[in-house]
Amino acid sequence: MEKRQLLNFFCLVALIGAVIGTASAYSTPESIVAASKVYVSNVSYGPATFFTGDEGTVIISVTNSNTNDSAVVNHAVFGDQNIRLTSTPFDSTVHIGPLQTQKFVFSVVADAQDGTYYPPFSLTFRDADNLYYRQMLLVENRNLDLTIVDKPDAFVQGKKKTVYLQAANPRDGVVTNAVLEVSGDGITAAPARTYIGQIGPGAKIPVNVSVTPDKETQLSLVLTYDNGNNPHKVTMEVPITFGNDKKQADPVMSNIQVTSVGTTYHVTGDVNNAGLETANTVTVTALSPAVPEDPYKTYVVGALKTDDFGSFEITFTTDGKTTSVPVQVSFKDSDGNLYSSVQNVSVSPVGLNAIKDNGPPLVPIIAALVIVAIFVGGWYFYLRKKKQ
Amino acid sequence: MTRSFIDILIRPGQFFAGLDVERESFTWPLVILLAGGIVAAGYGYLLGGASAQMMSDAMPGLGMVITLASVFGALIGVFIFWLLWTAVVYALSLAFKGEGSFQRTLQVIGYGYLPQVIGSVITLIAAFEYVPRIVVPKITSAMMQDPVLMQQATQSLMRDPAMMELTQITTLISIVFLLWSANIWIFGLQHARKLSARDAALCVGIPVIAYIFYMIYMIGVS
Repeated sequence: MEKRQLLNFFCLVALIGAVIGTASAYSTPESIVAASKVYVSNVSYGPATFFTGDEGTVIISVTNSNTNDSAVVNHAVFGDQNIRLTSTPFDSTVHIGPLQTQKFVFSVVADAQDGTYYPPFSLTFRDADNLYYRQMLLVENRNLDLTIVDKPDAFVQGKKKTVYLQAANPRDGVVTNAVLEVSGDGITAAPARTYIGQIGPGAKIPVNVSVTPDKETQLSLVLTYDNGNNPHKVTMEVPITFGNDKKQADPVMSNIQVTSVGTTYHVTGDVNNAGLETANTVTVTALSPAVPEDPYKTYVVGALKTDDFGSFEITFTTDGKTTSVPVQVSFKDSDGNLYSSVQNVSVSPVGLNAIKDNGPPLVPIIAALVIVAIFVGGWYFYLRKKKQ
Repeated sequence: MTRSFIDILIRPGQFFAGLDVERESFTWPLVILLAGGIVAAGYGYLLGGASAQMMSDAMPGLGMVITLASVFGALIGVFIFWLLWTAVVYALSLAFKGEGSFQRTLQVIGYGYLPQVIGSVITLIAAFEYVPRIVVPKITSAMMQDPVLMQQATQSLMRDPAMMELTQITTLISIVFLLWSANIWIFGLQHARKLSARDAALCVGIPVIAYIFYMIYMIGVS
């Protein structure tokens, strides 16, 4: 019985000692003072601003400014119902040494709509009370701006035209991996995919795309980018409709003169460029039913600048009954696209109108007569002299 | 007695002196005529080519036929001209009681053709210059059915400025060298047919002048 009582006594002493010992590891005036010198030195969000639904990280740096005492942290947690924590809280003991900084990293998702939020950070000291901190977080659903700076007045089938675009970032945070993709049914774009990269807040990046449409269609522009690790995109549809290029070169034939010998026609004239762009490698030739013939089957006028003109001459034959012959003027633009226009030229059915009848050629006839006269006269005087 | 081609050209009287007592030889006359024929064939090839080009669309192969006909016609035509011209001169000389043989006249006319060989070379050079500039009308198969169109096309070819200029130049050259030949023929005919200078001049001069007037007429109407 005495042994049992003795055991109970030791147990009681040990329990009291344990209680007293535990009570000595909890808050003391010194530990409270030391904990007051622990503070949140930095908070960074990634991304800097969130879209609703974006996932991200928050890194909270906690600094112990005590020179001798460590701070012991039992628990750390971040977030609320708007900025929801998706990672586990810090539940293990963390020692923050004197003049050291400890980073606490949390994964969060923004459930809130547009607005400014202050999600709480809570930290529990082993030897003191808690530390609470709030840092502003912006949730904005404003997308990047993809704008057309300039585009042709009208597209022409098969002709390459340049569309001038601009990607701008009106958000408060930087976005990365921005890529512009251009596509469309019957459209050849160059480049079809442009890597823009990082776009800072308030920055704008120009992007030029050459588009060659084969038919009237929709040009699809998709700008994809990452906000943190969250992919987003901006789409734009641009209608591609064909029309007359108001600046296009416009070679016009004038001063056309037709002469003919038999069924061979010789057409001369001028080609004037009435457009606003240079017409390159302008060529003129006759089309069926005419058959181009040497020496000028096809006449190369060359390059014609605006308001410039060049002369041409072509030769061709017909079947003798044709009254109108289509004459084609072709030229290339600066991209090498070939354009043609046709103008009919009237020809006479037989084509003998150009033969001039200037009367007999007097000079050779007189020359021949003089030669004959000299010969006859010479012989006359020779014979007369011989007779004498 | 030694005689040269230079004597034929500038001293025909001296060249033909004593010819009537020599044996009739056609070697050199034939050489001269052959040379003239070859040059004429070249000229015919150029002009025949233009005509062939005009007809090429009307009938396949016709162009080649025309070209060959032009070449061989010009070549053989020189020899035919030689015979006919000799016959004319010989016939006229009968009126003046000429006594020499027809062969001797042939020999003399053949020698006298030498200046025309030179003239033919000059006209050939002119043809090389002018023929490429001729704009040749095309006669189609459809036009072959219409004689009026055929005639108009042919006239168009003949009235081409380059063709007309070539025709006038070659005519003048032909006249000059034909008269040079006539000069030689007069001296030759005196010996070949034993005629006086006056009679020989008339025998040669009448057809020559007539032919020249014909050529002048052709210039006028072309």
